[in-house]
Amino acid sequence: MASGGCALIRFALRRLLQAVPILVGIVTLIFLLLHLAPGDAATAYFNPNVSPEIIDRMRENLGLDRPIHEQYFRWLRAFFTGDFGYSFGQHRPVSAVLADALPNTLVLSGVSLVLIFVVGCAVGAVQAVRQYSKLDNVLTFTSLFVYSMPGFWLGLMLILAFSSPALPDALRLPISGVTSIGYEFMGPLGKLLDRARHLVLPSVALGIASAAGVARYMRGSMLEVIGQDYIRTARAKGLPERQVILKHALRNALVPIVSLLGLYVPLLFGGSVVIEVVFSWPGMGRALYNAILGRDYPVVMAASFFFGVLVLAANLVVDLLYAAVDPRIRRA
Amino acid sequence: MALALMAAGCGGERGAAPSAVDPADVPEAERYGGTVVVGGLGEIQTMNAFVSSDYMTDQVQAYVLFMTLLRYDERLDPAPYLARGWEVSPDGNEVVFELRTDVRWHDGTPTTAYDVAFTFDRVKDPDVPYPSRSSFDNWETAEVLGPHRIRFTLRPHADFLNGWTALPIMPRHILKDVPPAELATHPFGTSEPIGNGPFRFVEHRPGDRWTFEANPDFPEELGGRPYLDRLVYRVIPNETTLFAELRSGGVHMYVRVAPELVEQVIEDPELRLVAFPFPNYSFIAWNSRRPFFEHAAVRRALTMAIDREEIVEAVRHGLATPAAGPVGPWHWAYDSARRPLPHLPDSAAVLLERAGWVDSDGDDVREKDGVRFSFELATNESRERRSIAELVQRYLANVGVEARPRVREHQSLVADVTSPERRFDAFLLSWQQGFVLDERDQWACDRIGRPLQFTSYCNPVLDAVMDSISQSTDRSDQGRLLRRYNELLANDQPFTFLYVERRADALRRSLQGVAPDFRGELADVGSWWLLEGAP
Repeated sequence: MASGGCALIRFALRRLLQAVPILVGIVTLIFLLLHLAPGDAATAYFNPNVSPEIIDRMRENLGLDRPIHEQYFRWLRAFFTGDFGYSFGQHRPVSAVLADALPNTLVLSGVSLVLIFVVGCAVGAVQAVRQYSKLDNVLTFTSLFVYSMPGFWLGLMLILAFSSPALPDALRLPISGVTSIGYEFMGPLGKLLDRARHLVLPSVALGIASAAGVARYMRGSMLEVIGQDYIRTARAKGLPERQVILKHALRNALVPIVSLLGLYVPLLFGGSVVIEVVFSWPGMGRALYNAILGRDYPVVMAASFFFGVLVLAANLVVDLLYAAVDPRIRRA
Repeated sequence: MALALMAAGCGGERGAAPSAVDPADVPEAERYGGTVVVGGLGEIQTMNAFVSSDYMTDQVQAYVLFMTLLRYDERLDPAPYLARGWEVSPDGNEVVFELRTDVRWHDGTPTTAYDVAFTFDRVKDPDVPYPSRSSFDNWETAEVLGPHRIRFTLRPHADFLNGWTALPIMPRHILKDVPPAELATHPFGTSEPIGNGPFRFVEHRPGDRWTFEANPDFPEELGGRPYLDRLVYRVIPNETTLFAELRSGGVHMYVRVAPELVEQVIEDPELRLVAFPFPNYSFIAWNSRRPFFEHAAVRRALTMAIDREEIVEAVRHGLATPAAGPVGPWHWAYDSARRPLPHLPDSAAVLLERAGWVDSDGDDVREKDGVRFSFELATNESRERRSIAELVQRYLANVGVEARPRVREHQSLVADVTSPERRFDAFLLSWQQGFVLDERDQWACDRIGRPLQFTSYCNPVLDAVMDSISQSTDRSDQGRLLRRYNELLANDQPFTFLYVERRADALRRSLQGVAPDFRGELADVGSWWLLEGAP
């Protein structure tokens, strides 16, 4: 076991080292792409009242008149000393932009991730156990339907449904933002409840399609396990069905599902860009979206870097989890 | 529908409010209290007046949190605000402002002439990225004569007080030690602004909202404490979500409501629409370096082929006025008798033929000297403009001209049209004018090659008129010149001026006292109030 632990640590370290060139590659590519796109932060002042001389001066002040390699190395040097620079559009340090936006995105994606796996696994397992029943058919149809819906459209439908003045107040849910107006006057419990209520619709819109995907995988994986000899053995030795399913089948069926986690985390961050705009959620996705439109390079660079870090970290966690749940991988 | 819109356009309400209480019956003393939430698609980034550039940000700064030295009245004449009055020397080279003595910053410090001098110095400093610095190009020095008196020297010019109606005075005691190059990013703007206007800063949640509360010490003479306890600006970047919030009562006002929602606003008994002329016009710019657009006669023909009345109805749902030139209905010099070029496709065809553009090969597209009259019409992602581009394509096809609409990402398009090489044939955009119509950057012959001279059009007569406009200090003289300016551009059509926007806001009926005009919806925010019991 001790050697297994050591191997795991070595494995993790190797992966961390590999992450460095990947991240440098990501930021370099994004820097180049951004600067290849026509326009810069100063073109945002496209306005008959702003004289071109002032725009030239702004370009100079922001260092946008420098050659691209100079801008790149200057940015890279500052970045690796922890100085993310200032947002051109928000007029504040990029670190402050991240400090405000990142937690909001992590909460939203985290809740969605839990939703994806809990709902997905539960639905998939029920379908496998009741294979070819009416319930299985209905759930198959529903999950395929949900899976093929674009997230933003589903989000808009949820917004229209849950804000309808026809709905009794008790059933209505907040459709935009993170907190209500008057949040600062609420008690601690009220605040928590208020935040939770604001999370419901965006996390459903963000996660439901992936949950449907997980359900399909889970159903397949579960069916495969149920067909195995050891399940027949468990049944043959007289274990109650409940125990066979929950203890023997479910656990083994979950192993391949864990690897999906690594696939869904990047999807979540990608999806958050759209969902955060639709639900007016002040997170990284929206900050990134606005920054791209406004050519706010420092924010785009830092946001892409952190998305990159989060995706790589999620993949590492998945590999570690995988090793933890499957002894064969650990030994290899 | 059109009638309803016209009624709404006059700021009137359609039908009676479904509430039992008539707003007029509520005594003044009972109008105090409540929180109003204003929702908009765009973010308000900063309360730092030295860096702002977008419309809503300027509105909140000038009318909510801070005070400008002067304000425009409804005739676009400068009127006292922080300055109680001013005196201009007979030769026009000096102005002395007399400030109010009863205005305090929200931390209790009095607002004085030193704040005005500080603000002026920073605005003139090239290290400070103040976008409207050119309004102060002719202002030279400031001298504080006393705590509430300040003298400026300047070169006399047209509308010389304009800059002071837009620039909020900033607190010297807080910002004086910040190096000018660092002012733009100082936390004052985003997390700890201190103003002196009718509302005080409470909180900024970036990407979400700004919260302000009534300033009880705001001078009585200027309206005193606002009726509302709190004013919140929320950014909701999606139209559907913002409209759903308005309908469910989460916001009281949807600023600049999308034209396609206007009908729903009018039909909803809980909502009403206010609309007002707004200095924002849509245009097609013709690149006169291209063989098609060289001659004014051809550009006039293209304009006459386009049915602007129909565009206004189809795309703006009536919320716009077809434009003859750049002087719009919001401006005092606007001449309503000067009609835009009429929609006459047959005459347009004749004009094109006379200019040598004939369809000789029968492919329904004219040609001249072997060049087909086929060009790219670029526009940005806006739904409104995409629809216009498609309509224009159809109108021009009717007169044998092929326009190929192309949707571009906004910044890329701007980069192309402002480049010295002018990488475009024609483009369709809209933009907001300043209250002072000194637009030499767009039209003057000596600005060809500079970013805003898109069309490379040159008319020395127009140049002379524009120079006179910028020098004229007499209204009647200026009015005559502005009408001439409008006339020359209407004749030459370097742009096809499509329409001037009527900006529309959707409100819940509980929100009272909102009567916006071209100065913007927040100009009278101190007199907004909430009618209890109304939806």
